[in-house]
Amino acid sequence: MKRSLWLVAGAAVLAVVIFYFGARAVGGRAETVIALGAAISQSGKYAREGKFYVDAYKMTVEAVNAAGGVKVGGQAHKLGLTLYDDQSDPSLAARLCTKLLTSDKVNFLLGPYTSGITIAASAVAEKYEVPMIEGGGAAGNIFDHGYKYIFGTLSNAELYFQPAIEMAAKSEPPVKTAALLFSNEAFDKSVAKGARKWLDEHKIERIYDEEYQPATLDFTSVLAVIKSKNPDLILLAGHEENSLNFIRQSQAADVNPKMAVFTVGPPTGDFRKTLGAAAEYVYGITTWLPEMDHKDEIFESSSNFAKQFHDRFAYEPDYHVASGAADVLAFKHAIEKADTLDPKKVRDALASLDVQTIYGRLRFNPTGQIELPQTLVQIQSGKVVPIYAGGKPLNKPRYPTPSWGAR
Amino acid sequence: MLSLQVLVNGLLLGGVYGIMALGMSLIWGVMRIVNVAHGALIMLGAYHAFFTFTLLGWDPFLSLPVTIGVFFVLGYAIQRFLLNRIVRAQLFLTLLITFGLGVVIENLARIAWSSDLRQVTPAYQGAHFELYGINIPHVRLGVFLSAAVLSLLFLLLIERTKLGRAIRATSQELRAAQLSGVPVGHIYAVTFGLGTALAGAAGALWGMLFPITPTMGGPLTLKSFAVDVLGGLGTMMGPLVGGLVLGVIESFTATYVGPTYPNLLSFGLLVLILVFRPAGILGPRGLSG
Repeated sequence: MKRSLWLVAGAAVLAVVIFYFGARAVGGRAETVIALGAAISQSGKYAREGKFYVDAYKMTVEAVNAAGGVKVGGQAHKLGLTLYDDQSDPSLAARLCTKLLTSDKVNFLLGPYTSGITIAASAVAEKYEVPMIEGGGAAGNIFDHGYKYIFGTLSNAELYFQPAIEMAAKSEPPVKTAALLFSNEAFDKSVAKGARKWLDEHKIERIYDEEYQPATLDFTSVLAVIKSKNPDLILLAGHEENSLNFIRQSQAADVNPKMAVFTVGPPTGDFRKTLGAAAEYVYGITTWLPEMDHKDEIFESSSNFAKQFHDRFAYEPDYHVASGAADVLAFKHAIEKADTLDPKKVRDALASLDVQTIYGRLRFNPTGQIELPQTLVQIQSGKVVPIYAGGKPLNKPRYPTPSWGAR
Repeated sequence: MLSLQVLVNGLLLGGVYGIMALGMSLIWGVMRIVNVAHGALIMLGAYHAFFTFTLLGWDPFLSLPVTIGVFFVLGYAIQRFLLNRIVRAQLFLTLLITFGLGVVIENLARIAWSSDLRQVTPAYQGAHFELYGINIPHVRLGVFLSAAVLSLLFLLLIERTKLGRAIRATSQELRAAQLSGVPVGHIYAVTFGLGTALAGAAGALWGMLFPITPTMGGPLTLKSFAVDVLGGLGTMMGPLVGGLVLGVIESFTATYVGPTYPNLLSFGLLVLILVFRPAGILGPRGLSG
């Protein structure tokens, strides 16, 4: 008897814990509220990047409301925000989006993080014909289904490595060989597909081209092979944890390419803090930096947005955060342009939207994806320095990267 | 040359797999509990090492004795106040309660420390030397040697001391041990304490190699389990052999088959072992043992 009581009590505690962390809704809904909803990873393997979007959505919704809200039919509406935790699970994300539309009755959807989850969630938006603007998925296969209700504020994944490869091809001493390593997720596969195209175009030989599982922690064996082939350029498409492990282990394995570029990590402050001196000379890619000269009426400027964000959440925003903020701003502009909450009309307003925000120019191509130029950056003396964009050098790279022993 | 490097990489990593799995094997061997919270305890060990390193400046290698002490006490308490109520219950119940415990620990860790990645970064983190052309990082060698020394000390404790004899007696024949005056409740708590201490030490070592997050434990529970089954669950030498074997298999698979395949091959091997040699590499043939 006593034992079963204990089990019941334990199960109850467990249920409360799971409930509490599983679904934490913020914000409410009143008469003049335009309800935005999103399922986003707050636990599981994408919790880290998911937090960027949670924070960006919250801050931007509040900023829009503080600036007078969204005007529809001459009346100011406030934005509401309902967030659920998809636990990094695509099928749960799809179920939660269905719940948001059918039982919470939100007006519009904001996106989740990572391409794989976005694909699942976008199908729900399409089915219910409610626009979803997402800032966390950039793989081509989100946008090639011919869906009409999905809009993305991350640039096409295939373009990610373009500026890096262009700069590498023009460098002295020249880059002749490259190793390409990518996780077997939709986004990173798209990045790799693009990279192959740019490498071929610039006649850089691919001497290593392998995919890995995103959960991979130990790259020592991969590094042993790469070291034996001694490529001039290393391109890694993966998550921040992959980049961190790869760099740390390549230091210990003494792998010395002339240039190493990572899709995710280098622009975030945390990345530099975690790696310390080992982050020096590392290249990254970003569509957005706080120093960029973008302006809008909500946050005034990119740098002001970055400052407000840092003051509130105590970390530096990177392009994920700015992209998340852009999603909320895109809804504000499209709703005001459509002057109605009718999802079909807002969808049409989004398709023809062309506005300037702190993230850059918001304009979607016919598939629904934004086309922003990528900027190659390098970490120099602990700072993120823009190196190359749009076919033009911006600052002098510290090239070639000195060997680990010579630093 | 490459294959020799790959072999060394596998062995160096296999050491920490071994010590990770040893604690789980001990708890199964004596208490017949598959401790699903094992990975969560490893995670706590990693955070313990991280915070003593960053706040107090303690080198995780040198502070291993402290880590072991702290986690022994933690494990002893978990057994006395929680698991003692269900020990020798059905396997399914013990599985559930340790699963719940793991989830609770993980969520508490997330609230307390956020989902941020942490990294232990001693001054010698990138240091390495070459031996006959083989690259050997200091940290990896340190982790391997620490795991080896701890395993050896642990085996001596089990094989050569009076306490070890009582633990073995409880594991082999519960009734007879009770009748011979072995305080079984105390032995259970000590066993869980030792298993937790090994998890804590494994976490401190793991944190020297890889980033630390609240969710790191889940995959490590699975890995410990795979290593144990490979070597022989419930045996003491089995996990160490299983760890080295798994490390080498992963390393060779990543190199010669492709970096997407290590899990497929190692867990495929797990299934084969369960079918053809259920007691593991070092266990007795058949399940009767």
